[in-house]
Amino acid sequence: MKRKILSIMLTFALVFSLMAGCGTKSSNNGESNSTATATKTVKITLLNSKAESQAQLEEVAKIFIKENPNIIVEVIPTAADQTPFEKVISMYAAGNAPTMAMIDPGEVSKFKDKFLDLSSEKWVSDAIDGALNAATVDGKVIAFPFAVEGYGLIYNKAVLDKAFGGNFDPSSIRTRDALEEAFKKVEATGVKAIAIPPMDWSLGGHFLPIAYTAQSKDPAQVAQFLSDLKAGKVDLANNKVFNGLMDTFDMMKKYNIDKDDPLSATYERGPQLIGKGEVGFWFMGNWAWPQIKEFDTANEQYGFIPVPISNNPDDYGNSGIPVGATKFIGIDKTQNSAEQQDAAKKFLDWLVYSSTGQDMLVNKLNIIPAFKNITLQPQNPLAKSILQYVKSGNTLEFMTTLPPDHWPNVGASMQKYLAGKIDRKTLIDEIENYWKNVQ
Amino acid sequence: MNQEKTLLAKLKTYLIFAGPTIFAFFTVMILPFLYGIYLTFTDWDGISATHAFVGFSNYLQAFKDKVFWTSFLLTLKYVFFTVILINVIAFFLAYVLTSGLKGQNFFRAGFFTPNLIGGVLLGFIWQFIFSEILVYFGKSYNVPIFSNFWLSDPDKAFWALVIVTVWQYTGYMMVIYIAGLVNIPRDLLEAASIDGANSYQRLKNVILPLMVPSFTISVFLTLQRGFMVYDINLALTNGGPYKSTELISLHIYNTAFLHQQYSTGQAKAIFLFFVVATVTLLQVYFSKKLEVEN
Repeated sequence: MKRKILSIMLTFALVFSLMAGCGTKSSNNGESNSTATATKTVKITLLNSKAESQAQLEEVAKIFIKENPNIIVEVIPTAADQTPFEKVISMYAAGNAPTMAMIDPGEVSKFKDKFLDLSSEKWVSDAIDGALNAATVDGKVIAFPFAVEGYGLIYNKAVLDKAFGGNFDPSSIRTRDALEEAFKKVEATGVKAIAIPPMDWSLGGHFLPIAYTAQSKDPAQVAQFLSDLKAGKVDLANNKVFNGLMDTFDMMKKYNIDKDDPLSATYERGPQLIGKGEVGFWFMGNWAWPQIKEFDTANEQYGFIPVPISNNPDDYGNSGIPVGATKFIGIDKTQNSAEQQDAAKKFLDWLVYSSTGQDMLVNKLNIIPAFKNITLQPQNPLAKSILQYVKSGNTLEFMTTLPPDHWPNVGASMQKYLAGKIDRKTLIDEIENYWKNVQ
Repeated sequence: MNQEKTLLAKLKTYLIFAGPTIFAFFTVMILPFLYGIYLTFTDWDGISATHAFVGFSNYLQAFKDKVFWTSFLLTLKYVFFTVILINVIAFFLAYVLTSGLKGQNFFRAGFFTPNLIGGVLLGFIWQFIFSEILVYFGKSYNVPIFSNFWLSDPDKAFWALVIVTVWQYTGYMMVIYIAGLVNIPRDLLEAASIDGANSYQRLKNVILPLMVPSFTISVFLTLQRGFMVYDINLALTNGGPYKSTELISLHIYNTAFLHQQYSTGQAKAIFLFFVVATVTLLQVYFSKKLEVEN
């Protein structure tokens, strides 16, 4: 009997300690809520999907908090084994949506009943042309264009100066033959000509879409081309731009540093090769600058040249590189309070209009802002090179709203082509089949 | 002493002991599972506020997907090789390490260690080994099989996955087999020796039949893990080169979150659940029949 009483007492003790545990937690919550209302501190979260900028973004958040003591910004990283989209939807499903979510342009429209209408924000009128296209759903701007990015063939000026025996002029390369000539000159100096990154997101998400975007100067024509592809009405085998681009690709393959085993290269190796001057060219975008900088031997002299698609320098696409807004920030209106939404708006305003915010955006995050009012010049050579193309009007549309399974599928086909496992006819079949079956 | 008399009293006792577990199991396993099945009949994209009922079209979509079947067949091949290799090697190791070898505890710990490393980390470690160390070794000593990057060739990348999986799980299964071997009654082995059985006969007629319970559990674990493998696949090859090593779990994840076809991915996942459940239940049923009483 004594034992029984003892065990009952123990059970109660356990139950009470458990309840006490829960109790303290809830009273804690109450406390923090009450202090929050007392000093009006608002905590907002920013889901970051630019993994390479996590540390810098955290610093930016700290500086913002210093200037706005009432607002706390927490930057949530995306794990390496998670896609940003999965992270966002799981946070929504858990009732814990981030105040600001950084997402890809193609995903914006999925959030049309979650994101706040930002059409009346001041920065909308200061955004550069076209930057808000992907952020506009049903006539409303629901996302903030965070970064403008561009890509092309990155060159190492030190290597090319040596190859050309003097000052290399990037605008001299406007045709496939001129590019091959440059490759030959680089190889004559004992350095390999080019590194082709074999990642599916690069081949399928960046390289091949040049064939779409270079179809026409008119974005409506490009959109028409894509819907024709979907309808199976496009004959890629006889498409001049596509074949031109693939001819250039074939030529690039001949000079590839990884010619023997083209799929073995990793992304990490690219910045090393171009930075140390072991290759003259690398196909990539301005986001790679922080990594290139670590290996820099060319005194920060780099830039982009377009991927030529023909031998006529005047053809559309031969003088421009794809540039576009690639990351958008949306503000959640379903699970965050009005104060949090206002604080998030304030944060975005701060980035665009305060001098510290602008400085952070351009110099700390190495971003090319999508806003006309920001006059700060980026210090990194790749961003400068992109701005030159933007200023001279030589840009192509960055195809950022292709279907989400475009790059994994078409990228796999391009990898097979790069490795020489399939010929161009099979590649064309696979691309056309992908588009016919796309959802 | 405490004979429960009424149904209510029985229920009360039952709930006191099993209630919390049942509650937890129901809320975190059963409910999400049923909700998951429900979602496969809708067109929900994972985020929108509304969704419509679409019947079986997600399943049709899933079964029409050729890549899904390629991936499924590849997974069967992977499961076949990993289950056999893991269990054969693990049994062999366990057999050697229970024979009274010098330093056997050290070896047991050593073979078990890989199992303590998380799959993603392990994938990256082996990626480095395959991309740098083996290639360097192959090139400097002129070993043709190693002088190319394994992970850029579809066949070799598949075998790389098998090798890493075997390396990771063999130690775990070895521990189960050691437990089984240690528990075989000495008197039976002695009796066999006295009857003149040589070591092969003892292995075949005494040890193996008594080890069937260990085989049941080990084969079950390796089967189930083989079908569900995700982390090693993600970190080592990420489905590459050109989607040739995308095993079924990774394929499902990619369908749902990368290609953003949430409901189709969910339908594929439910299909996978039924395949794994059927295969493992059949396996347990048939190997239970093989078990002998000692």
